[in-house]
Amino acid sequence: MDAQLVQCLTESTCEVFRTMVACDLEPGTPLLGEAAQPRSHVVGTVGFGGSRLGLVAFHGSLDAAREIAGRLLGISAGEVRGEIADAIGEVTNMIAGSFRTRMAGRGESWAISIPTVTVGTDFSITPRGYGQRAVLPFRMPNHGDLFVELLLTSR
Amino acid sequence: MRVLVVDDSSTMRRIIINTLVKLGHQDFAEAANGLEGLERAAEGVFDLIITDWNMPGMSGLEFIRTLRAQPSERRIPVLMVTTNAAKDDIVEALRAGVDNYVIKPFTPDTIREKIDAVTGRAA
Repeated sequence: MDAQLVQCLTESTCEVFRTMVACDLEPGTPLLGEAAQPRSHVVGTVGFGGSRLGLVAFHGSLDAAREIAGRLLGISAGEVRGEIADAIGEVTNMIAGSFRTRMAGRGESWAISIPTVTVGTDFSITPRGYGQRAVLPFRMPNHGDLFVELLLTSR
Repeated sequence: MRVLVVDDSSTMRRIIINTLVKLGHQDFAEAANGLEGLERAAEGVFDLIITDWNMPGMSGLEFIRTLRAQPSERRIPVLMVTTNAAKDDIVEALRAGVDNYVIKPFTPDTIREKIDAVTGRAA
């Protein structure tokens, strides 16, 4: 996996959380290949295509997703009800969009999809046909680990 | 100032409206895509439209192009709030009739500065 991609996605994720969620994430060491399979309750995905093809996926626990939704909406996590999916979709959209912008500055040209979100338990994503994979771990203070996954495929 | 907020994400509409409230604005209408935006714009008088770009149904660009093509006595200022921030995107949005541009993620200060710029330009 191109280190520049990992760095840009890390910076994008931290910027979105710092600016919109009022939270300083602590990035961990990226995991490359199939070694890491993030288990989570809420997964937001945004696909992209153009000079590269792939997918950005955001993984979080229900507790973390509720906290993120509350902070975005300006309410307490306890008041969050049905807003989690839309909120995580928007966070994923902003991460992927910021990532796209950073990569555009390095000569890449992509379009991104509208986000989709899955909320549930005991599931994992098994992509088919992706050539490269990186999982970026982040610690959200008091709310455990979040993961941002980057899947790339060649044409 | 009456503001129309157009975004398919209810979360982003709430974030923008919460930001506007902090900036002292109180009168809002909402729409979830460009088609709804056109309906709301036809129903009422607005001093500012804030719209997303990527929306199902009718995108923000189509919305603004259609709005600008309609005969009107006054030109409503339009601010686009989006993740599409490449130079080509900005040029395309400005050509469609957008007056200014806010790139997500954003701070309340950025929203205020851009609103001041587009409403000042319209005055």
